[in-house]
Amino acid sequence: MNIEHFKKGGKILKKKGKITVTITIGIACLALSIVMFMQFKLVNETDITSIENMREEELRTELANWKEQYDEANEQYEQKSATLEEYKEKEESDAETENLVNEELANVNLILGKTDVEGEGITITLRDSSNDDGDALTITIDNLNTIINELKMAGAEAISVNEERIINMSDIASINDKSLILINGQRVISPYVIKAIGDSTYLESTLVGKGGSIDELEKLGYDVAVEKSNKITIYKYNKEINSKYMQ
Amino acid sequence: MVFIAILVGCILGAIIGINAPIISYTYSSYLAIAIIAALDSVFGGIASVINKNFDLKIFISGFFGNAILAILLTILGQKLNVDIYLAAIVVFVWRMFSNLGIIRRYYVEKWSNKFKEFKEKKMNKKEA
Repeated sequence: MNIEHFKKGGKILKKKGKITVTITIGIACLALSIVMFMQFKLVNETDITSIENMREEELRTELANWKEQYDEANEQYEQKSATLEEYKEKEESDAETENLVNEELANVNLILGKTDVEGEGITITLRDSSNDDGDALTITIDNLNTIINELKMAGAEAISVNEERIINMSDIASINDKSLILINGQRVISPYVIKAIGDSTYLESTLVGKGGSIDELEKLGYDVAVEKSNKITIYKYNKEINSKYMQ
Repeated sequence: MVFIAILVGCILGAIIGINAPIISYTYSSYLAIAIIAALDSVFGGIASVINKNFDLKIFISGFFGNAILAILLTILGQKLNVDIYLAAIVVFVWRMFSNLGIIRRYYVEKWSNKFKEFKEKKMNKKEA
């Protein structure tokens, strides 16, 4: 290929054809440079942020990484929350047990007479008095015992005499030839106020009904008063309950 | 004549391209491979003008056909997860260099001949 050959060829090439070729190549260059500059601009624009500068594959890898991390974190979160749930359940059951124990304790205390209690019941007031003939009608320990036993039989849940709570180990004793009555080691004197919590109607009917101890006392002319009430307060046993020999 | 057309085309294209709206980054790889293909076609066209075997139909079909084929190959490569566009780039750049070689050789010969003629003329003058 030399200049001679080119010159010869140039003569062969028609002028019209040459113009067409030139225009065609020009248009091709035009299209090419349009696309090229668009690309340059695009690349320039995407250079602004490093993320957009990344290739799609890099972004994909990054995304996969993050997804993995997210999955891991999610798993950890689920594990932790499961553990937390477990602990919560445990705590709840502990609280439940505690509640149960407390309830039991309260119940036991209630039965033992270590708490003040309230409820429907009756109040019996007994007074030493004298009958019309001038005979002294003194309330004896036997009267008290009978009344208390009858109250227990009638289903009294709590009993007190002059605010001395009668518990299962309460003593009702008399010294000095029955002139001194001691309950729980405390001396009690007339008037004797016996409070009992239970079904008030039943308690009353048991005591006041025919053959009941109050009925008998009344017949004998004792000063006895029985009062039903919806709300009676019986105070707690105010001494320590100690066990030394029991095991 | 051809180079004036190339120059005018490039300048006009640059002006239009700068003012053109930005296309999505997703298509940038297709556009890049199309540019390489078109560039190869243009170099091939110039080389064929020099070789005197320039055919308009072949040039136009090559210009668009190569670009479209390159884009399709890139898409296929992305679907298959194989970087086929690298092969296309290798081929296009290879051909670009060979075409550039043809153009370079032609002009070097042309200028060296001119220089020789100039020198001969000088020698003739001196002899005269």
